[in-house]
Amino acid sequence: MTIAALDPRTGTALAGLLLSMADDEFVIGFSDSEWTGIAPILEEDVAMSSLAQDELGHARALYELLAGVLGDGRDADALAYDREPEAYRHARLLDHGRGDWATTIARRLLYETADAARLASIGEGWPPLAELVAKIRREERYHVMHVLAWTDRLARAGGDARSRFVAALEALAPDAPTVLAAQEGEAALLEAGILTRPMTSAAASWRAEVAGILGPLGITIALEQAADTARSRSGHSRDFRWLWGELTSVRRSDPGATW
Amino acid sequence: MTDPLALDPVLPPRGRSERSARPWNEDLPHDERYEHFEAHVTAGGKIEPTDWMPDEYRTAVLRFVEMHANSELMGVLPERDWIMRAPTLRRKLALTAKVQDEVGHAQLLYRVAEDLGKPREAMFDDLLAGRTKFHNVFHYPTRTWADIGIIAWLVDAAAIVAQQALRDSSYGPYARTMQKICWEESVHIMHGRDVVMTLVTGTPSQRTMVQEALDRWWGPLMQMHGPRSDRSKDRDLHWRIKARTSEELRQEFLTIYVPRIRELGLTIPDPELRFDDVAGEWRYTEPDWNELRTVVTNHGPKSQERLEFRRLNREATAWVRAAILSEPGAAA
Repeated sequence: MTIAALDPRTGTALAGLLLSMADDEFVIGFSDSEWTGIAPILEEDVAMSSLAQDELGHARALYELLAGVLGDGRDADALAYDREPEAYRHARLLDHGRGDWATTIARRLLYETADAARLASIGEGWPPLAELVAKIRREERYHVMHVLAWTDRLARAGGDARSRFVAALEALAPDAPTVLAAQEGEAALLEAGILTRPMTSAAASWRAEVAGILGPLGITIALEQAADTARSRSGHSRDFRWLWGELTSVRRSDPGATW
Repeated sequence: MTDPLALDPVLPPRGRSERSARPWNEDLPHDERYEHFEAHVTAGGKIEPTDWMPDEYRTAVLRFVEMHANSELMGVLPERDWIMRAPTLRRKLALTAKVQDEVGHAQLLYRVAEDLGKPREAMFDDLLAGRTKFHNVFHYPTRTWADIGIIAWLVDAAAIVAQQALRDSSYGPYARTMQKICWEESVHIMHGRDVVMTLVTGTPSQRTMVQEALDRWWGPLMQMHGPRSDRSKDRDLHWRIKARTSEELRQEFLTIYVPRIRELGLTIPDPELRFDDVAGEWRYTEPDWNELRTVVTNHGPKSQERLEFRRLNREATAWVRAAILSEPGAAA
């Protein structure tokens, strides 16, 4: 189903939604895969690589849907790799460099819970996305279990581990709401049933969920209302520009080649 | 108490009655036990962690498995940098999965070694202090994306030739672990060949890149199985920890892979390489054994940098291990 089959306003808004979801999964997949081979314990190394592969697999499926919607000849790889850094639309939460294990777990906690709230807001309006989301949610359930286990462990360990974890949560908290910033053209997406609730309402349930997880552990973080989408998903950091330089380096060395 | 039946699927297939047929486990004088043990092993029998075993055997298996585990762990580093640079989503996923497999192999092998009595942290200490070794091929740099293809295809192929023979190892847990590892390595070889194939059929600069990678890796590949050794003096062969000599492994690698490399239009950088029909074996330029000795004693081009990287990483993540080994809530 290309963009031409949808009314232009809905098509443009859908493409925007798909791009932000795909870029989010793509970038967190890269951050997570930076732990492959160097995670704190071998067992966790294997687990983190699986999470990274899941996220990248979701990104690929979302870029494929987007390629179909755009119908401009670009495939999933071209969409994922052949853009300038400023054209990426991932949330500012994912703009932070990999950081230490506490930052990684804090980022995963804030992102996974926000992503779950976003996925729960996708309706049946556009069946290809609804079907993909059903599949993604089955996998994301395990990601949430994994990050909750670590959250509990680090918070209850006390001492250095807890201090690092709380500091990481506080450092990421200002950018965390960007995942659920209002989508451009949200009214059209709601009208078409592609979204079932506004992002502000998804964000409210997400804030309550995070408070429900961290409260019993004695941790409070301030999660403000996100700025608008344009500000939440642009103006990327130096960390992301470094990542972009790495991830496109082989491809840029021989443009147009098949790899 | 754990129901012993619940452990059946993970324990080696052996009934209680067979245990009495393992006389080295009986309360006999040491020399008698030793003789029973040696006769069993040299006849092709398997040994399990719960068996009595001579110190010489335990030490030899531990040394062998520990070096293998170290190699899987250090072998992650040359490829790891390219996980970030993989040029398509498919390659990115395949390379992440491949490196994940290597980490998984390290974990399985360290567990086999742990059962022989050496704690994992002690093995990391020895590796990082340079007291134990890892395979020569993991001491070299990876310069281009083509290295990733050559490593997954040919380094893993040379490794699998050795590892397939280890499925017959006398030490049961090692032999069974090798079954799983060999299966996964065979998938890596397909991934590597696909990367190489795409490059040789690609642009002129891609073809140059892959030939140049083969030129750099050929020397280390020919050294990988080690110098020829005297079968009668090799204790690892005597105890059937391994089943085949270095030269047998190198000959098999050449027999399988020389035609496959040439089939892709690549040139092997050894003018002396040919099959001698009369002798029935490959002739080749003598590998640089001095380079092998230099490299495996941690004087290779990347040895110190990689060990230092691991040392720093281990320090930087020590707090996480401390946190998960502590009692929950102890300091909260």
